[in-house]
Amino acid sequence: MTTRTAAPPALEVRNVTVRFAGLVALDDVSFTVAPGTVHAVIGPNGAGKSTCFNVLSGLYRPTAGTVRLGDAELTRLAPHRIAALGVARTFQNIVTTQGTVADNLMLGRHALSRAGFAASALRLPRAVREQREHLAKAREIAELTGLGAHFDAPVALLSYGDRKRVELARALCLEPRVLLLDEPVAGMNAAERTRMTEVVREIRAELGLSVVLVEHDMGLVMRLADEVTVLDFGKAIAHGTPDQVRRDPEVLRAYLGSGTTGEDAA
Amino acid sequence: MSDLLKKSTLLERGGLLKQGRLLLPALLLCALPFYLDAFWLRIGLFSMAAAIGAVGLGLLSGTAGQLSLGHAFFLAVGAYGYVWLAGEPGPGLPPAVAAVLAVLLAGAAGGLFSPVAGRVKGVYLGVATLALVFLGHHVLLTADSVTGGFNGRSVPPLEIGGFTFAETDPELTVLGVPFGAEERLWYLGLVLFALTWFTARGLLRGRPGRALVALRDSETAASVMGVHVARYRSAAFVVSSMYAGLAGVLLALSFRRVVPDYFSLLLSVDYLAMIVIGGLGSVAGATAGAVFVTALPLLMTRYADQLPLVATPGSGDGSIGPTEASRYLYGAAIVVILLYAPDGLHGLARRTRARLRRKSPDTGPPGAGPTSRPPATTANAARTKEHTP
Amino acid sequence: MTGFLDNLLNGLALGSVYALIALGFVTIFKASGVLSFTHGSLLLLGGYLVAVLHDDIGFAGALAVAVLVTAAVAGALDRLVLQRVGGTDPHAAHVQTIVTIGIDIVLVTDLARRIGGDLLPLGDPWGNSVSDLGPVTVADSRIAAILVSAMAIGGAFALFRFTPWGLSLRAAAEDGEAAALMGVRLTRVRTVAWCLAGGLAALAAVFLVAFPAPGLERTTGQIALKAFPAAILGGMASPVGALVGSMLIGLTEAFVAGYQSELHVLGEGFGDVAPYAVMVLVLLVRPAGLFAAKGAARV
Repeated sequence: MTTRTAAPPALEVRNVTVRFAGLVALDDVSFTVAPGTVHAVIGPNGAGKSTCFNVLSGLYRPTAGTVRLGDAELTRLAPHRIAALGVARTFQNIVTTQGTVADNLMLGRHALSRAGFAASALRLPRAVREQREHLAKAREIAELTGLGAHFDAPVALLSYGDRKRVELARALCLEPRVLLLDEPVAGMNAAERTRMTEVVREIRAELGLSVVLVEHDMGLVMRLADEVTVLDFGKAIAHGTPDQVRRDPEVLRAYLGSGTTGEDAA
Repeated sequence: MSDLLKKSTLLERGGLLKQGRLLLPALLLCALPFYLDAFWLRIGLFSMAAAIGAVGLGLLSGTAGQLSLGHAFFLAVGAYGYVWLAGEPGPGLPPAVAAVLAVLLAGAAGGLFSPVAGRVKGVYLGVATLALVFLGHHVLLTADSVTGGFNGRSVPPLEIGGFTFAETDPELTVLGVPFGAEERLWYLGLVLFALTWFTARGLLRGRPGRALVALRDSETAASVMGVHVARYRSAAFVVSSMYAGLAGVLLALSFRRVVPDYFSLLLSVDYLAMIVIGGLGSVAGATAGAVFVTALPLLMTRYADQLPLVATPGSGDGSIGPTEASRYLYGAAIVVILLYAPDGLHGLARRTRARLRRKSPDTGPPGAGPTSRPPATTANAARTKEHTP
Repeated sequence: MTGFLDNLLNGLALGSVYALIALGFVTIFKASGVLSFTHGSLLLLGGYLVAVLHDDIGFAGALAVAVLVTAAVAGALDRLVLQRVGGTDPHAAHVQTIVTIGIDIVLVTDLARRIGGDLLPLGDPWGNSVSDLGPVTVADSRIAAILVSAMAIGGAFALFRFTPWGLSLRAAAEDGEAAALMGVRLTRVRTVAWCLAGGLAALAAVFLVAFPAPGLERTTGQIALKAFPAAILGGMASPVGALVGSMLIGLTEAFVAGYQSELHVLGEGFGDVAPYAVMVLVLLVRPAGLFAAKGAARV
């Protein structure tokens, strides 16, 4: 099994621009996620946060600009190659696959295991052994994220909050160096939010990975983030610590001026 | 309850209990040639061959979500590959070697198509694979020197270490039952089917199976989890082609003659019907569907005179013959199953089992505790756009 | 030279008939995301109705009835069967596609049983007459095919462009959810799409079995599948693409058949399967079809 080095390299986003058929979704955005920190990307709806994540995980190829993780230029790589480098993500709308929690978490182990079609079909000893080892690891991660009791339950039967957690656990199964969380607490109730915040804090402390966080819940952002980048209409309008950003007049205008999401800034 | 759950982990479940449950049907299947006549053995043989092919298609269309209407083509590659490799004209290889090479040939043919199979997804691949059936049929008709053209070729019997899977050579009588071609091929079919069952389940429950399920359910999720999308799509296609090739070899041996018109689009559609009726994505389901679709017309032909509405074959235009009757039935079965029970026979069986189990008090389905909400469909989740809490 | 012109005209005639079918595919696809494998049986149904009715009510009447009945059957299949399949499953369109295969099995089995081994004449007014167009001699049925198809296709495009239904169709194809929120009744849009496709398929049947083809037979429906390569070439969701794709397919088939003797390595009758060879070649280069719009996958 591969083990990742403790300190992840910095994730550098440089002058990234994404255009869809005339629409500019990201406009010359740059920021750096320092190793081992939590970096939040916030902004009103449609500001380009999800587009930004899709660029980071290789689903979109930017029109211009680069994303680098250490020596690797992510913007040249296909999503599965980026995953192999230790970049894992969750989705704001839950995207789990059929089967049990275990099946989903084992998908997270895909990049770290190697049993191919022939080895699995013939159930070669090394494939069986590998499967057993990864299953043990997946179970550990399920315990860590509070899913231990549901390990063999079909995902479709879980509550919304638990399914969100399955996504997080699946991403963790990749043993990521950089974890991208897209609205991890959206749609959760207060208790579930508190619990999720705890989990994120814990994994970051224990695993020493960098976290990039897109979230509307400002309370969560203020509590977790070391640094914040604010996007508005595809442009990065502010950077800084949560406190600095909160006082930034530009940011206030973006939130309050847009009207619809005013309560988010509160 | 959680202890109980831990023990029944998907991957650890294949223990003694499971093997015990498999042993009985296996023994039963082994005993059948001593009691059944050639007609029933042939039905069984065709069903086993179909099941092997259907398991392959199930892996591709059920598990990976890649529709294929080109399955008949790969069955043909397996069947004709064997006939040519083992026969005259052809290199005249030992039949056992020819059989193995024919399966590999089918896999290679699938591999040649992989630039398309790896990049064209879902139902669109179904359209693309139409090309294989029509072009393949054309080649079978025109490449006389290899395929024998319209009249096809006779199939050399399989021979392993001096033992021939035919009526004689050597003459064989076991426990007073003369072992002719059907009896011998029955055991060959059983071995090949067991091999299919074993390997397909290994695939489905291992790393490749999970990757394919993920591809089907969300290409995006699969790719960000590290699954090489095009490679896994191609690989699923190749593996499915190899199962089809194996089925083709067994069919050729059972028919003793291969003709181009058998390997038409209708055959591909039959295989699709098998996996839909059985329930997409399960080995047992594909097998059940294969038996249903294969045995139905044969049984109807045999018992046509006793069935209402069904005329005996060849009783003239406009009457419903057994072949038509069975096609009505399984065409309708596809529609009805997808309307009311999308997981097919396999799902039906599973739900019945679950209902029976629920009657005993302490083993409910996992997750049905007081904390769980009714299962929200993935569609609802997928529709949730930007949240504004 | 006359050989070339012959082939050209043959190809255009064939292409325009494929275009009728392909346009139906594309319309259904735009409206519902379903690939209709029922088209073979709809085409066969249209042809069969003309074959059995033309003696009593004349060719024109039979054609009109066939077009209307086939359209109604197609619409009913969509409303009564397909729309009930899959529910909120995100893959509902795919499941419905497989249901169209099931429906096709039943319909084709039944029609083939009625037709039996016969070749049914459709009683069309063109018969086997030919006309001289400058240096080439053309079957009147081919000229009729081109003219009638052009009118029908023109009519269909007018529907796309100038009617509220056409607008709804385009809105539904852009973003079904948004269209539904804006008050577009998706169920009606797609049922009308199926009706249109059914009618076009019935019309196509008449020209597919007209001279020099011998008449309607049980396998005529399979020809409808050749419109799939045409629609795929055109990128599946583009009516104009389907038109161009159909012409390419028709011309390929006609020229391959016309130069059969020079292409004998490919085997006799390769023209019939040439459309599929073209489709594979195109998919190798452009997996999404020739005219597919490039769009990033939304997550």
